[in-house]
Amino acid sequence: MMADTLVEKQTLLQVENLKLYFPLYRGLILQRVTGHVRAIDGVSFSIERGQTLGLVGESGSGKTSVARALVRLYKPTEGRIYFDGKDLATLEGEALRNMRQRIQMIFQDPYASLNPRFTIASLIAEPMVIYRYGSKQEIQDRVLELLRVVGLRPEYADRYPHEFSGGQRQRIAIARALAIQPEFVIADEPVSALDVSVRAQVLNLLRQLQRQFSLTYLFISHDLSVVRHFADRIAVMYLGKIVELADRDELYAVPRHPYTKALLSAVPIPDPKVEKRRSRIILSGDLPSPINIPSGCHFHTRCPMAQEICRKEEPRFEPKGNGTHYAACHFSDKVSGTEDA
Amino acid sequence: MMDTPIEKEREDELEALLEVTPALAQKRRSQARIILDRFLRNRTATIGASFLILLFLFCFIGPFLTGHTNPNQPNLLAPDAAPSLAYPFGADDVGRDLLARAAVGGQVSLLVGLASMLVAILLGTAIGAIAGYYGKLLDNILMRITDVFLAVPTYLLLFVLSASFTNGSVYSIIVLISIFGWTTAARLVRGEFLALKEREYVMAARTVGAKDFRLMFRHILPNAIGPIIVNATLLVGQNIILESVLSYFGFGVQAPFPSWGSLISDGQGQINTDPKLVFIPGILIFLTVLSCNLVGDGLRDAFDPHMTER
Amino acid sequence: MGKYLLEVQDLKTYFKVKQGYVRAVDGVSFAIAPGERVAIVGESGCGKSVTALSIMRLVAQPPGEYKGGSILFEDMDLLDQPESVICKIRGAKIGMIFQDPMTCLNPTMTVGKQIAEGLRLHLKIRPDEARKRAITLLEQVGIPAAAERYHSYPHQFSGGMRQRVMIAIALACNPKLLIADEPTTALDVTVQAQILELMNGICREFGTALMLITHDLGVVAGMTDRVVVMYAGKVVEEAPTEELFANPRHPYTLGLLESVPRLDQVRDEELRTIEGAPPDLLAPPPGCPFMPRCAFARKQCLTMPPLDPLPKNEQHRKACWFDITDPKVQEYAERRRAAMEALKAKALETTGNKTVTS
Repeated sequence: MMADTLVEKQTLLQVENLKLYFPLYRGLILQRVTGHVRAIDGVSFSIERGQTLGLVGESGSGKTSVARALVRLYKPTEGRIYFDGKDLATLEGEALRNMRQRIQMIFQDPYASLNPRFTIASLIAEPMVIYRYGSKQEIQDRVLELLRVVGLRPEYADRYPHEFSGGQRQRIAIARALAIQPEFVIADEPVSALDVSVRAQVLNLLRQLQRQFSLTYLFISHDLSVVRHFADRIAVMYLGKIVELADRDELYAVPRHPYTKALLSAVPIPDPKVEKRRSRIILSGDLPSPINIPSGCHFHTRCPMAQEICRKEEPRFEPKGNGTHYAACHFSDKVSGTEDA
Repeated sequence: MMDTPIEKEREDELEALLEVTPALAQKRRSQARIILDRFLRNRTATIGASFLILLFLFCFIGPFLTGHTNPNQPNLLAPDAAPSLAYPFGADDVGRDLLARAAVGGQVSLLVGLASMLVAILLGTAIGAIAGYYGKLLDNILMRITDVFLAVPTYLLLFVLSASFTNGSVYSIIVLISIFGWTTAARLVRGEFLALKEREYVMAARTVGAKDFRLMFRHILPNAIGPIIVNATLLVGQNIILESVLSYFGFGVQAPFPSWGSLISDGQGQINTDPKLVFIPGILIFLTVLSCNLVGDGLRDAFDPHMTER
Repeated sequence: MGKYLLEVQDLKTYFKVKQGYVRAVDGVSFAIAPGERVAIVGESGCGKSVTALSIMRLVAQPPGEYKGGSILFEDMDLLDQPESVICKIRGAKIGMIFQDPMTCLNPTMTVGKQIAEGLRLHLKIRPDEARKRAITLLEQVGIPAAAERYHSYPHQFSGGMRQRVMIAIALACNPKLLIADEPTTALDVTVQAQILELMNGICREFGTALMLITHDLGVVAGMTDRVVVMYAGKVVEEAPTEELFANPRHPYTLGLLESVPRLDQVRDEELRTIEGAPPDLLAPPPGCPFMPRCAFARKQCLTMPPLDPLPKNEQHRKACWFDITDPKVQEYAERRRAAMEALKAKALETTGNKTVTS
């Protein structure tokens, strides 16, 4: 499917055919499996060192599941996750613990991802304590350093999360994620729960940290405007599959999947003159249930371009055009006509 | 309105005094403080708590202060004495000082109530935590065991066990009562753990490398403590009643240690001639349990998450 | 009736707490003409939701208090009327949709019944007539197989569908004004597009005025005729939509527009941010509430500027002493911004000697 770049030192993360199925049980005592929720249904992508991959999708797309599978909060049903050469999907025990140090995560809800009973100093120190990062004093110093790095005053160290605003809490979460110097940070909707004027602050901070610490990001969001600002490459997910993967500017200029096109046209732009000129593609119908995924192309039930073949045959996720632009559509060359994206 | 002209420039410029990352507001009250304040505002709960404190003092320190230290000394010169200065609660049919008996009996009842509560809570929390956190088979097994304990008729089993296996000492009674007290706590803690283990801060802790034990006891348990404390308080009241019933029927703490329950059974023969023998321990039991319940309710309200931090 | 359908004048809604009053809405004035679509924009805590709830008289009376001002709806002051009159207006003349349809729909009642309820209450029609109308409404809001779905429960619908049901309920009695409080914030972007299109179409068809409360400037740009910008309980700017985006005249509006990433623009440099955070509404600082965060602030700002129209444009009002398009003013702002940055860097330098409790 994808060019194998395992040997190259540049690729930090390579995911191949990742699947995550949740079984559904029925029965009182002996529980039978009656079906599966196909949260991730065969996903492949790679991220180069120092790059940011944006993962975009709506609810039910599986993007949060991908994040959780990468940090092994869930164990993948199938597939490979090559991180710096080692397959995370099958690691266990100590080996997994060691890998865990290099991958950290920032969660979406700053009000829920910090334990309300811990001081923020304990929260930030926790990964260092668990992985025995240094002496008590060294850890203490590093906590203060981290607070400074994320733009919070060191005097805040012994306060509790509820005393902070959403934006500040997210900064604390970022400080915690950086504590043991990871190489790869997964940011799961880091600004979605924040006020508009605070989002820019946190986004700028994430950018600055990426430069400062040579981080590689997987940036997950449903907000295409934010992702456009932040990512180098973007993957669009729908119902557990990646439907399109391309360099940022190319995705926005020449989308090759009807879902991407519809998504782009649906995003409101804060400019009345531009809004007036736009034509919206309104998708029909509702998102199918992930228990009952449509045959063939997952998107065909709502696709304005769907044909007979789309119902029967699942399109392959393959490079179109110049080789770095992937899409899963039988008619990908017809997607971008003369309408403005 | 015309825009204000800025010819007189430097004069009206504002220094950037106001800081951009402001110091946090004065340190707000800690969680514990908030809860305490809220509890104290609840009048009935505070009354209950005060009563319990006074009762404690009365039972454990009172006798030494007032000199009524001898509950078992019969005084055949003053049978059924009415309340007087020498015998503030009067005396029973063989002249034993009722105040002393009530106080020492209280010691036993309170001790048993508290100690059995502690054992029950510890046991129940451990079981509930494991069941709720690990789920699946382990949860199933533990909960079915809990169901068995709940289905058994408490008093009957206690009577049998007490008669066959114990020697009537205070410690054995404590153990006995704890056998049944843990089930509610287990259920409660299991429910809390089931809910809390899916919280984002638990997931976040997992991604920074925390293992099961740490997650259970450093992360989840402190957040589940509210309902546990409430349950514990109510359990004290329940256990006191349980102990009293046991003692009433003679299966509890054996003579010579008085207990409120045995005081009642001792005095019930004279209920027509000398009702205070039954009345006094009965009232004490009633007030104590009532206070425990009031305190428990007050704590439940004080812990209400809608009123604490965001 | 006067020129306006709804006229809010100097509305003050405060909440009583132990330490005093939280001034959620602190002297807000704006108006909506019949059929007009007006957006109320601001971040959390700015008072936009409380304004909407005040109009519907839905603010819980303790701790909320209507401390002043008036709300004229069809020339009648809603704050003066008894509850019985308000009940007749709610649902019939003014409809409201909220952000989270799951908590606003009764989970134990079928969807059809909930629509019919309002119809029967206000229009006093027979049950079967109400049922027919409810089914028609479900069709109008785009729910397929409306006759069967009449009997479905809220949890059997998706988020977008539930919002459509809410719209159906709100529009059932053909109100003159529809208040929508963040109607699409919780929805996926493709569903949001569907719902917004629906709302637009219906308002246009029935001539319903729309008061759209949101923090999403993109939605505002596409859906509205006029925008009211709120901050810390006050209105800071008001203008026709195109004018506001092309020519923002309040530093907060400017800051918002500059800090929002746009789908059609790539900005490789950093986004301009508004430093700091909104003020404490219990004890707001004197004067303009935005002053602590404002790069343009000067001594005059210790007095709250009035919301006045621009010298050349009656339609565009701002609450700011200065003309932020003036180059001299901008130069001052740059200097002030640099000073604020320096202060911030200094604050972060100081090391604390705090122990880490692990």
